[in-house]
Amino acid sequence: MLNIQKTTENGTALFTLEGRLDTITSPTLEKLLRESLDGVSTLILDLQGLEYISSAGLRVFLSAQKLMNKQGTMEIHHANESIMEIFEVTGFTEILTIK
Amino acid sequence: MTDHNSDIVTILLSGRIDSTNAPQTEKMIQEKLSGHEGSAVVLDASSLEYISSAGLRIILRIKKAHPDLTLTGVSSEVYEILDMTGFTEMMTVEKAYRVVSIEGCEEIGRGANGTIYRIDKDNVVKVYNNADALADIQHEREVAKLALILGIPTAISYDVVKVGNSYGSVFELLNARSFSKILASEPDKLDWCVDEFVKMLKKIHSTLVPSGKLPDMKEKALSWARFTKEYLPAEAGAKLLSLVEAVPHDDHMIHGDYHTKNLELQGDEVLIIDMDTLSVGHPVFELGSMFNSFGGYSEWDHNVILKFQGFDLATGQAFWHKALSAYLETSCQAKIREVEDKARVIGYTRMIRRSIRRHGLETEDGRAEIELWKSHLLSILEHVDTLTFSLNELEIEATTDNLSEVQTFVNERLDALDCSPKAQMQIELAVEEVFINIASYAYLPGKGNATVRVEVTENPVSVTITFIDRGVPYDPLAKDDPDVTASAENRAIGGLGVFMVKKTMDDVAYEYRDGQNILTLKKNL
Repeated sequence: MLNIQKTTENGTALFTLEGRLDTITSPTLEKLLRESLDGVSTLILDLQGLEYISSAGLRVFLSAQKLMNKQGTMEIHHANESIMEIFEVTGFTEILTIK
Repeated sequence: MTDHNSDIVTILLSGRIDSTNAPQTEKMIQEKLSGHEGSAVVLDASSLEYISSAGLRIILRIKKAHPDLTLTGVSSEVYEILDMTGFTEMMTVEKAYRVVSIEGCEEIGRGANGTIYRIDKDNVVKVYNNADALADIQHEREVAKLALILGIPTAISYDVVKVGNSYGSVFELLNARSFSKILASEPDKLDWCVDEFVKMLKKIHSTLVPSGKLPDMKEKALSWARFTKEYLPAEAGAKLLSLVEAVPHDDHMIHGDYHTKNLELQGDEVLIIDMDTLSVGHPVFELGSMFNSFGGYSEWDHNVILKFQGFDLATGQAFWHKALSAYLETSCQAKIREVEDKARVIGYTRMIRRSIRRHGLETEDGRAEIELWKSHLLSILEHVDTLTFSLNELEIEATTDNLSEVQTFVNERLDALDCSPKAQMQIELAVEEVFINIASYAYLPGKGNATVRVEVTENPVSVTITFIDRGVPYDPLAKDDPDVTASAENRAIGGLGVFMVKKTMDDVAYEYRDGQNILTLKKNL
């Protein structure tokens, strides 16, 4: 369903996501982010293994972005074509920093 | 020897009738018929060895004066002469019944009306329970012929024999093995058996039968429901009857007693036998009787299936679930349960009636068994609202937890299409957004069902997915689109789902009709 790998080093948190970010799995990521972002100045979400995202996943990204806007930066890495399309349709390409 | 009945004269023919004794024979017959002008005549040919054309001419003359003429007990040799000369077309000719013993013969099948034994390497005999079975045998032969003509591989009996006091019909079945036997001795062949079993079932169910050629299973099911209704609380009984009444007429074939003992592997050909229950009707009636064979009859006494099929209840249940999954072309457990529950309604209704008619209420065990079936039936009747089902429609409780079941069901319907990964994801996304909306809001604060229907059209290829719920009227399309140019800080958290659905589908439509929210999504592929 969704695998999350988390590494934190010197204020940089790297979350590697694999699988599906949907209504069922998003709460797990949301909870983990909420617990992990104290003192983090750079958040990287690596989507290399992410196959699917729904509005539930977008909402998690949005609230993470809002939080990081206050304490640092957030980057999206390796979003695949289908997910990029979702970002574009929803205007998330303007909100998120996609690398 | 002559037996003068009020309107039938029986005359015994014996030995040889040819030109040397024809005149005397005719004289003897004329004497016996004098005073019975025009009455029906039975010529008992059981000790007739040979008849020449001189003898045949006598029969023709009798036929002229006595149009109602029957020859009985005709030996194979004499039958051949009568057949060659066209006499079998002109009058009723009944062959002598060969006597067959089933002592020490292996039982290879058992159905509602009889038991099938192997009498030698190439032949089997079906012995009928009913002593007066000639009409049944005739019926089975007719329907087996009809099935064969309509493309169903089956065996047709070529001879009627006497087995003790019963009648039997003989079939050629070379070195065939029933699927029950294969399952019992080679458990690793289970999946192969399921495949072949379902292939044959689908072939039967897709066969359209000319109107009036086969009995309607719904009539039978109605009689079961009328009987069993009397043993249920009034409300449940009335619901049961109305559910069966509401099943639409269907002219597709159903076997009526479809289980693994009636499926035979002959060489590499699969044959369906025991055709006497062949009918037309909705597949739910078939599935009801299948449920009974693979588990229903064994719910109280787990050994029933072992005695009947030769494999245990766990095997029967595994087979049934795999077969139902393959038949419905889905691994979605909710869909399988939905249809299984409908089948069980028919199954329990039938078993309860059968047991009560066989004095089941008179023993403690029988009463316990009936009570068990009844309790299952009553609990299913609480949530089943129709006995019909469709392979492209899923009715499921609208809860977040059921999302993956819905996704599985929809994806399997699209498997055969060549969907691009992008289109696949967009469809999944739309299904999730819409279903989760229904699950989250439609029935608050209670719960309810949603129906998901998937239709595929060709040329150009497109898929239409319809969501139906009976919750509060709500048009998700009426809401303003979110501002997708706003900054993160000003972004609203809701409304994105429906917006994405509108953007990624080619057509999205909503209507509220008959108390139902109906949302239709169309995607061109």
